[in-house]
Amino acid sequence: MSNRGNVKIDERTVWEKIADQLRSRSMWMLHYCTGCGAVELPPSMTSRFDLERFGIGPMATPRQADIFLITGYLSVKTLRRVIYTYEKMPDPKYVIGFGSCTINGGIYYDSYATINRLDYYIPVDLYIAGCMPRPEAIFEAFTKLMEMIRKGEANGWKRYKENYEWYKQNQLRSLGEVIIHDEFHE
Amino acid sequence: MMSSTNNIGLEEILSSLNQLFEGVSTEKVDPRQYKIITPPEKTIPVLEFLKEKGYSHLSILTCIDWIAEKKFELVYILFNWGTGVTFVVSTYVNRDNPIFYTVKHIWPTAEYYERDVHEFFGVKFEGNENCEKPLILELWNDLPPLRKDFDPLEYSKKHYPDREYQKDAIHEARIIRGDVRGEIDG
Amino acid sequence: MAVAARVAGVLLTAFFFGLTFEGIGRKVTARIQKRYGPPWYQNFIDVLKTLTKHGWTHGWIFDFGVVMALGGVIATLTFVPLGNFVAFPGLDNFFVIVYLFTVGALGMAMGMVGTGNPWASIGVARALTLMLGYEVPYLIVITSLLYNFKTSNISTIVEIQSVNGWNIFRFPIGALVAFICLQGMLGKEPFEAPIAPAEIASGPMVELSAKYMGLLMLMNTFMEFVEISIFVDLFLGGGNYFEFLLKYLTVWIFAIMISAVLPRFRIEQAVYFYWTVPLLLAFIQVFLVVAGM
Repeated sequence: MSNRGNVKIDERTVWEKIADQLRSRSMWMLHYCTGCGAVELPPSMTSRFDLERFGIGPMATPRQADIFLITGYLSVKTLRRVIYTYEKMPDPKYVIGFGSCTINGGIYYDSYATINRLDYYIPVDLYIAGCMPRPEAIFEAFTKLMEMIRKGEANGWKRYKENYEWYKQNQLRSLGEVIIHDEFHE
Repeated sequence: MMSSTNNIGLEEILSSLNQLFEGVSTEKVDPRQYKIITPPEKTIPVLEFLKEKGYSHLSILTCIDWIAEKKFELVYILFNWGTGVTFVVSTYVNRDNPIFYTVKHIWPTAEYYERDVHEFFGVKFEGNENCEKPLILELWNDLPPLRKDFDPLEYSKKHYPDREYQKDAIHEARIIRGDVRGEIDG
Repeated sequence: MAVAARVAGVLLTAFFFGLTFEGIGRKVTARIQKRYGPPWYQNFIDVLKTLTKHGWTHGWIFDFGVVMALGGVIATLTFVPLGNFVAFPGLDNFFVIVYLFTVGALGMAMGMVGTGNPWASIGVARALTLMLGYEVPYLIVITSLLYNFKTSNISTIVEIQSVNGWNIFRFPIGALVAFICLQGMLGKEPFEAPIAPAEIASGPMVELSAKYMGLLMLMNTFMEFVEISIFVDLFLGGGNYFEFLLKYLTVWIFAIMISAVLPRFRIEQAVYFYWTVPLLLAFIQVFLVVAGM
């Protein structure tokens, strides 16, 4: 990965600093669930823990969303859709990887169908350890992400633009082809 | 609960199976589950016979790789909604040249099970023209992945790069665990 | 100058109180669901945040549609009397408002279909179908009201109510029908089929990113403001500026509370419902008005 742009990445204008304050207080998450971590989200959103307190709510489409949760193991087939979805989201966008499966493959490290390391394909701002993380850990992660956005540290979307070739090359290496071909799309 | 009449029906079916079809062996797994092992040429007549007798639901068609015997075991699980009895009809095909016949004309849903078995084990089903279309795996270019001679770990290492750690955390954890145990044992 | 100040007053009221009341509505929904809920200013943050993001356009039809939707609704809004606070005195005619209101709706339909996303088309089709459902009983009731007062000027009706008492007591059936139709206009459950996030991925809004989303959220807020304001003016007697806002808040929270506990009608169920019970009640209201009772 090239480190050329790192100085530029952290720079923010005054307007961007104000915008980041707003972005950290209104994060809409994409309703896209890939693994068992999806089960942890309903208790986080409903009356027991109530994510809406922080302005975090589910959104139906990638166009409207700010944060992308990869909730668990990611099969290659899903990864194609994840890349599509990630690229459809408007900047700035943030990615949170849930659980050990997104960090190093977890218990699926030797599977022929799941990837081992998420940040090799799309930039990840934050990982939550655990298998699966409980809602408390998810809250910890969200508050941490809010802090990171305010400080301007959550800049995965800038890294993706700067190192686009590197990410594309990794995607092609594991997937062969990112374009989706199946009988339901033709 | 099974009524006595159904029990008689079941015994009739089992005895007539033995009379009508040569080389068919039956085995009682459970009061509600029977395994029928058939020679390949008798399998489809047995399935048709059982469907007529009320075992109309094809729960699944799957495959088992017996690598030592060089056989694929095809398993058809039939369920009777009236009595709750399951018949497991299985047959063996040659592992080197696995070809069998489709049951699409009996159960149209079998098309997808056959595509699944073809994709994961490489068994061809004659008469199912969609058999070789990809169903779940996209752009697969290796051995069918559920065969016993396919090594998923090797495939995973080749295609999905793992995270490289500076220190060997697992080794350290073993040392720590060993120390703790040592103290307790000593 | 006075007109410009009054127009600015109406627009700022709609912006500030519209978004605040939406935030309060979210809080009420949260409390009904035993949650704490977001702060009351959450909708301001949401709208401003969407304006800071970097989105995509989907062609000039889309751009034009979004601008037309927001512009049309703002134009409508300036004609709506807020109790006795009127931007254009004498021009606050019910038919002017209804006429201008379609500009915003058409702009939205055009822009959203311009995205080319099938969910958007389904959402717009559902929104128009639902409109077909609630407009019939609503317009029948309102027409009977206008016939009764022999005027279509909303300010005049507000003034008459300050003497004769609120229309909700004089025309209870009509008020009920208008409120049921209001629920459909607001797109709240059980008439939420055009949006339906879990079903058609928020329908018309499916392809909206960043500032387009923000503008459409504003447009939605203004649209709600127009719809509820007309109900408050026609049935709850308008009143002065603060009375008006209080009545507005009451109606809004009542609608929110209904929507918080109900599931969603399918679109044909919604239209069937509107064309049976409210339509029948609307005809009864018309009969009572014509018979002079």
